[in-house]
Amino acid sequence: MTETKRIILNPVTRISGFLGIDATIDNNLVTDARTEGLLFRGFEKMLEGRSPLDAVYFTQRICGICSTAHSIASSLALESALGIKVSQQGRYLRDVIHACEFLQNHIRHFYQYTSPDFVRLPKGNTLFETDHNDFRLPAGKNDLIVQHFFDSLEYSRSAHEMLAILGGKAPHNHGVFIGGVTSQATIENISSLKMLVQNIREFIISKMIPDAYTIADYYKDYFENGQGYGNLLSFGCFDRYEKLGTLYVDPLVYSGGSIMAFHPNEITENIYSSWYADKKVAYMPLETVPEPDMSKSEGYSWVKAPRYGGIPYEVGPLARMWLCGEYRNGISTMDRTLARVLEAKKLTDIILTLLDNLIFGIDVQREYDIPQSAYGIGLTDTTRGALGHWLKIENGLISFYQIITPSVWNLSTRGQDNLPGPCEKALIGTTLKDTDNPVELGRIIRSFDPCVSCATHVYSKGNLVKSINVVP
Amino acid sequence: MNEPNLNCTNSKMRLETASVLVHKAINAIGQNKIKKGNLIWLELTGCSGNIISLLDGADPNFKNLATQMVNFIYDNSLMAAEGESAMEKLFGVIGNDFILAVEGAVSTKNDGLYNIIGRWRGQAVTAFDAIKMLGEKASYVVAVGTCASDGGISAARPNPAACVGTQNLLGRKVIKLPGCPCHPDWFLGTLAYILMFGEPALDDRNRPIMFYSTLIHDMCPRRPYFDQGIFASQLGEETCMFKLGCRGPVTRVDCPIRKWNNRVNWPIGDNSPCIGCAMFGFPDRMEPFISYDTTRKE
Repeated sequence: MTETKRIILNPVTRISGFLGIDATIDNNLVTDARTEGLLFRGFEKMLEGRSPLDAVYFTQRICGICSTAHSIASSLALESALGIKVSQQGRYLRDVIHACEFLQNHIRHFYQYTSPDFVRLPKGNTLFETDHNDFRLPAGKNDLIVQHFFDSLEYSRSAHEMLAILGGKAPHNHGVFIGGVTSQATIENISSLKMLVQNIREFIISKMIPDAYTIADYYKDYFENGQGYGNLLSFGCFDRYEKLGTLYVDPLVYSGGSIMAFHPNEITENIYSSWYADKKVAYMPLETVPEPDMSKSEGYSWVKAPRYGGIPYEVGPLARMWLCGEYRNGISTMDRTLARVLEAKKLTDIILTLLDNLIFGIDVQREYDIPQSAYGIGLTDTTRGALGHWLKIENGLISFYQIITPSVWNLSTRGQDNLPGPCEKALIGTTLKDTDNPVELGRIIRSFDPCVSCATHVYSKGNLVKSINVVP
Repeated sequence: MNEPNLNCTNSKMRLETASVLVHKAINAIGQNKIKKGNLIWLELTGCSGNIISLLDGADPNFKNLATQMVNFIYDNSLMAAEGESAMEKLFGVIGNDFILAVEGAVSTKNDGLYNIIGRWRGQAVTAFDAIKMLGEKASYVVAVGTCASDGGISAARPNPAACVGTQNLLGRKVIKLPGCPCHPDWFLGTLAYILMFGEPALDDRNRPIMFYSTLIHDMCPRRPYFDQGIFASQLGEETCMFKLGCRGPVTRVDCPIRKWNNRVNWPIGDNSPCIGCAMFGFPDRMEPFISYDTTRKE
C-alpha cells in the first residue's frame, strides 16, 4: 500500500532569503516538489523614473550577499545603453572586485551554510543545534572541519576586505561603475591584494578543498541524488579579454550531452505559475515587467520561470566548471559542492593573473552623457550563475528595468508545460531515509546555493493566515 | 589624503569604542559579573546584507559574539536547524529575557503576505506577525540597518510591498542603527553596551550617540579640498565629492574614522560620493546619488 505524505519545510535555513519546500512523498520517494520563495519587494518598479546613473548603487540592494554582481550587471547594461566601451584596465579592476565576491560567497557557503548539514557543530549554542542525526564523520575529522568552520570566517572576511580595497566597502560597494571602477591600481593596493589572495588561496587548497572531499567520502550517496535535468547554462565570466583571452568560461549551454553557443534571444520568462498577470504568459526580457497578482488559481510562487529555448536550465559553479571542461565527474548534490570549492581555487588563479596585468595609476572614469532614449542589456555569470539586467531609458530617466537572477533560473516555477524548475526537478525522485527528518531535501536545495533575496518575487501557497495566536 | 587624523584623541577613542566595549563585556561575562544575553536575529523584508556585514567584523568579530557574548538562538541565515524546529526555537524564546535584532523592513501589503518568514504549527508566519509577536516582548529591540530603522530601500517609491520600519509597528522604543549595511562595530558595540549597562545614550532619532554623532563632512579627510574649493568633476578624482552629490554634509555617522572591512577603505576614499545610506529617507531623499555638477544649471 502506498503511504502518501506531504512535507512542508519552511524556512529552509542557511540560504540567503526566505524559501519553503512543499514535497509530496509516496513510500519515502519524493514524487512531487515545489520550491516557494517568500519575499516580494519589486525592485523593477522602484527603478522606474530614477536616474540611470543611480542604478549601479540601487540594484546592489537587491541582495546583500551578492551585491557586487548587480553592480556589474547594471554597469554592463548601462554601458550597452550609453554606447561605452570599457577599457581593458577598467575591466581587469572591475573583475578583480567581482572575483572577490565569488570568494566571499563560496567560503561562507561551504563552511557556514553547507557544512552544518554534514558536520556536528559544538554543543552549547542554540544556533548550532540540529534535529537530524545523520552525522557520519569520525570525531577527529568532524572536529577538524568544525575548527575550519570558525577559521574560515577570517578568509571570507578578507575576501570582502580585498573587495573594499578596490570597491570602497562591502556589502554594497561603490567602486564598480560605468567605465570600470572609481579606484586605481597602486603599488600599495596591488601588493595588499596579492598578499590577501595568496592567504585565501592557501586556505582553499589546504583546508577547504580537502574538507569538501572528506565530506564527499562519507556521503557518497549524495552523488546519486539531486541530479536534476542536467541542462547547464552560463552567460560567461572572466572571458574574452582582448589580450588575455578567456580566463574562465565563455557564454555556453549544455543539453542532451552536447555543448552549444549561447544566444541571448533564446531567453524568455514565463509567469504561468507565478503570482503575476500580464497580457502574455511568456515574454522576452525587454518586453514587459508583469504586475503582481496574487489571485491566480494556478499560481504558487512569486518566482518567475526563465527558460532558454523553452526549457529550464541549471546555472551556477557546476554549470561553469562543466562548460569550461574543468569538472566532468557528474551532476548531483555533491558534485555541485565539489565544483564550488574547486571554482574558488580557480578564482584565486584568475585574480592573480588580472593583478599581474594591471598598470598603476590609470583613471578609467569620465563624465557620461545620458541619452534621451536608449536600451541596454547586461549579461554576466556571477557567484550563483547567470545574471541579466535589461533596461530602457526615456527622457533621460529609467523607464523600464528587468532583472533575471541566477536563483530565479534555479528556483523557477512551472510553465503551461508543467515542467518543474531545476531545483524542483532535483528534489523529485529522491528517496528519503526518514520522512520525519527529511534531511535530504535541505541538502539538495543548499547545493544550488539559492539566494531568494535575489529571486525577490515569491509567495507561499496554502492557507492565508492573518494573525497567529501565541501561547503565552 | 584618505586617512583620518589618529593623533586626535577624539578620533582614536571613537575608533576603539566597539572593541573596548565588546572585550569589557566578554570579561564581565567570564567573571560572572553579567550574564550572556539571549539574541534573536530576525531577518525580515530586506537583502540579508546586515548579517553578511556582521560576519565581516574584525575586532570585534562574529566568533566573539556567537561564543562569548550571547546565546545566539535564531538567525535564518546561519542556524543549523530548519523548518518547524527552527521556528520552535524562535518562538520558544518568548517568556525569557532576549534582545531582538531586526534586519530588514516589514512588508505590510496584503496583511503582510508579501514576506513569509516560515511556518509554525502549520501556519504561515509573516514578517508582520513576527515583529508584532516578538517586538513587544523583547528586553531591547535593535533595528540593524536602514530598512529596519526607517524602511530604507525596501520602502523606496512606489513601495510595492508597503514596507515600513520596525518602529512604525511597535509601541515601544527601538534603538536604531541605520546604514546600508550596518557596520559590524555599530551593532556589536551597541550590543555590548546593552549587556553591561542597558540602553546607550541616544539622539533624537534613537541612534546611539557613540556612533552617530559625527557629521561625515566635519571629519572627512577630504574636507581641506572643500574648504579650498577644489571639487571633483567626475568619479575617480581624489578631491572633494561635493559637486557630484556627496551626502557627507547631511549624514551623521562615523565612517570617515571607522571606515569599512577591517578599516581598509570607505566610499569617499574610493573616489565616489557618500550616498547617505545611513540617513533617514534613504534612498528617495538622498537621490540622485550621482550627478555631474549639482551647482550647474541644467
